[in-house]
Amino acid sequence: MKEQREGIVEYIWRVFSSMKLGLILLGLVALVSGVGTVFPQANLDPGKAKEVGEIWQTLGFTQIYSTVWFRLLMGLLCINLVVCSIQRFQGIYNRTFALKPPVSVSNVFSKIKAKLAGESEPLKISVQDVLKRNGFKLTINSGDNGWSFIAIKRRLGNWGSLISHISFVVLVIGAILGTTMGFKGFMMSSAGSTVPINSISVSKGRINQDFSVRIYSAEDRFLPNGERDNWYTDMGIIENGTEVLRKTISVNHPLTYRGVTFYQSSFANGASLTVDLKDQKLPIVLQDHGGNYFQAPGTELYLIAAAIKSDPQKPIMLYQVYRGKGVQPVQTGQINAGETIDVQGEYKLTLEANAGFTGLQVKQDPGVMVVWLGCALLLLGLFLSFYWRSMVVLGVFESGQGTEGELTMGTMAGKVTGGVQEEFDRLIHDIQAK
Amino acid sequence: MDQGLQNLETSSFYVMLMAYTLCMFFHWAWIGTKKELMGRFATYLSIVGLVANTAAIILRMIIAGRPPLSNSYEFLLAFIWGIIFVYLFIEYRYKLRSLGAFVMPIAFLILMFIIMSMGPEERIAQAIPPALKSKWLTFHVVTAMFSYGAFATSFGLGIMYLLKIGEEGKGKKSNPHGIISRFPALDIIDELSYKVIGFAFPLLTLCIITGAIWANYAWGTYWSWDPKETWSLITWIIYAAYLHARLMYGWKGKRAAWMTIFGFAAVLFTFFGVNYFLPGLHSYAISQPNILV
Ligand code: HEM
Repeated sequence: MKEQREGIVEYIWRVFSSMKLGLILLGLVALVSGVGTVFPQANLDPGKAKEVGEIWQTLGFTQIYSTVWFRLLMGLLCINLVVCSIQRFQGIYNRTFALKPPVSVSNVFSKIKAKLAGESEPLKISVQDVLKRNGFKLTINSGDNGWSFIAIKRRLGNWGSLISHISFVVLVIGAILGTTMGFKGFMMSSAGSTVPINSISVSKGRINQDFSVRIYSAEDRFLPNGERDNWYTDMGIIENGTEVLRKTISVNHPLTYRGVTFYQSSFANGASLTVDLKDQKLPIVLQDHGGNYFQAPGTELYLIAAAIKSDPQKPIMLYQVYRGKGVQPVQTGQINAGETIDVQGEYKLTLEANAGFTGLQVKQDPGVMVVWLGCALLLLGLFLSFYWRSMVVLGVFESGQGTEGELTMGTMAGKVTGGVQEEFDRLIHDIQAK
Repeated sequence: MDQGLQNLETSSFYVMLMAYTLCMFFHWAWIGTKKELMGRFATYLSIVGLVANTAAIILRMIIAGRPPLSNSYEFLLAFIWGIIFVYLFIEYRYKLRSLGAFVMPIAFLILMFIIMSMGPEERIAQAIPPALKSKWLTFHVVTAMFSYGAFATSFGLGIMYLLKIGEEGKGKKSNPHGIISRFPALDIIDELSYKVIGFAFPLLTLCIITGAIWANYAWGTYWSWDPKETWSLITWIIYAAYLHARLMYGWKGKRAAWMTIFGFAAVLFTFFGVNYFLPGLHSYAISQPNILV
C-alpha cells in the first residue's frame, strides 16, 4: 500500500515538475486572457458586460480574470514553477559552486574545443593567469598523469531562470494580497469639505482606518498656452482632530498615508453659494451637471447646478429646482456671481464663487510592494539569463614524454555558440602568447 | 519660429519617408542583381532615413515640450526608429544586409499606414491629458521601441529562414545564383533570431512593468486587464514559450521561425488590433489612449 501511495506522489511530482505542463498552462493562460479581451469585462465596462448573453455571464466570460478557473490555472502554474524550481535547485547549485574538473580528455566533449601542446608547469601557470585575469573562478586538480581544471565566469547567470520562475510566484502572491486585503474606494469632494475616510464609497474591501481628509482646494490649472496643466488638490490628513499631514497632489503624484493612497483621478467644476433660510445662513457647494443636490431643510425643494461657467472673474450658474418627486423642474434660471435670487419663496440663494470638486481614487493595497518585489526579481532573473550568461571552460593536461604534453580545452557553450566561440578563441590566444 | 520648426519637422518626415521607401527598393534590387552599388545605396539610405527619423522625433519633442510619445503617430515614429536601429545594428555587426529586404517593408507598411489612416490633424502635436505626464511613460515607450524593433527584426529573420528552407527542402541544392544564396546558413539565421529575441524579451518585460508602475501612479491600479495590457501579456507568453520550447525540446529551425512570425503578429495586434478590432475599451481609455503598448 505504502509503495503505491509513493508512486502516486511521485507521479504527481513528476507531472508538476515537467515543463510540458508548464507550457500547456502558459498556453491556456494566454488563450483564456485572449478570450477575455473579446468579451466586455464587468470591471472595465459594466454596462456592456450586462448586455452579453445570460449563459456567458453565468459561465464567467464577462469577468474571466476573477473566475475560479482562471485562478486555478494561475495556481497550477505557480505549483508547477515551485516544484520545478525545487527540482532544479541542486543541479544549478552544482553547476555553479561545486564544479568538478574533468577526469579525462573524453570528458571535454564540446563543440568548441582546442588542443595546445607545451610543458606542464608553464602551461598551468599561464592557464591560471589568463583565466583569472578574465574573471574566471578556477578549480584545479592534479593527478599522476597531468592536471585538469574547470573555470566559470559570470556564474550568477546560472541562477537567472530560477529567479525568474520564483519571481512569477511572488507576483501572483502580491496580486492575491491585493485582492484579498485592502480596499478600493472613490470620493468626490468640494474644496472646503472634511470627509471621514470610512464614509467614502468603496467598490471593494472594507475601510478600517478612521482618519479624516480635509480638502483645502481643488484646482483645474492651465498652462500659459492654454493647454491643461494638471488637476491639483491641496489636502490634509486629520487624525483625532489634529492635522498630521498636508500635501498637494495631482494626477501621477499621489499621496500615501498609513497604507492608504489618494490618487487624483478626476475633477469637476462647482460653485459655492449661500442659502438664506428664514432663520439661518448656510454655505453650500454644488457640482456641475447635477453631480450633487441641495435639499433645503424643512422643504421639499431640491436644487441642482445644471451647468456652470467657471470663469474666475464672472462665474455663472444655470440652476434647476425640483419639488418632491416631480420630474419637471419647478424653477430654472441663471444666476451670476454676487446675484441673489428667490427660490419658490422659501429661501434666497446667492452665488459666491467657483469651487472645484476633486475626484480621488482611494486605495489600500498591501500587495503592491510584493508585486514590485516580484517585478524586480523578474527583471533580475531575466537580466542574468540573457545578458549575463555564465561561461564554463575546462581542460585536461596529459603529459607525454617528460614534462611535455598536450592540453585539451573546451567550453560548455550552453545555448548560444556565437559570442562564446570568440571569447574562447581569445582565451586560447592569450594562453598561447605566454 | 514655431512655424519654422513645424515645417522642419514635416520635411524630416518626408525625407524619412522617401529614404526608407527607396531603401526598400534598393534592398530588393540588391538581392536581385547582386550589384554591390545597390547594396551600398540601400545602406546609405537607411542611415539617411534613420537620421531624418531621429530629427523628426527630436523636433517634435522641442515643439511639444515633452517626450514625443503620446499619440499613435508619435509612437509609430518611435516604433519605426526602433526597427531600423536594431536592423542597422545587426547589419553592421553580422554583415547581414540581406535582412534589409525583409525588415524595410515593415517600416514601409507602417509609414503607409500613417499616411493613409492619419490626417494631418492627427499628426500634429496635441495637448495631452494629465495622466500622460509621467516619466514612467517615457521609459515605457523607450523599452517598447527597442523590444518591438528587435521583434520586427526577428520576424524578418524568420521569413528568411522559411524561404531558405523552403528552397532547400525542394531537393535542388540551393541555386548558387538565386536570391536565397545571399542568405547566411540556416543555423546562423536561427541562432541570430534567438539572440535577438533573448535581447528583446527582458526589454518587453521591462516595458510591461514600467507600464504597470505608471498605471499605478496614475490610477492606483497596476494591472486592470484592459485589452492592451492583456495582449501585451499574451505577446510576452508567446515569446516565453518560444524560449522554453527551444531550450527543452530543441525547437529550432522551422518551428522557431514560425514562432517568431507568430510573436510579431501578436506584437502588431497589441498595437493595431486592439485599437481597431476589439470592442469595449473601457472608460479611462479616453484618458489612457493608444499608448499602453
Ligand atoms: C511564468 C513565466 C516564466 C518565465 C518568465 C520563465 C523564464 C525563464 C527563463 C528566462 C529561462 C531561461 C531561458 C533561456 O536561458 O533561454 C527559463 C528556463 C526554463 N524554464 Fe522558465 N519561465 C516561465 C515559466 C516556466 C514554467 C511554467 C516552467 C515549467 C516548469 C518553466 C521551466 C523552465 C525550465 C526547465 C527552464 C530551463 C532552465 C535551464 O536549463 O537553464 N518555466 N525560464
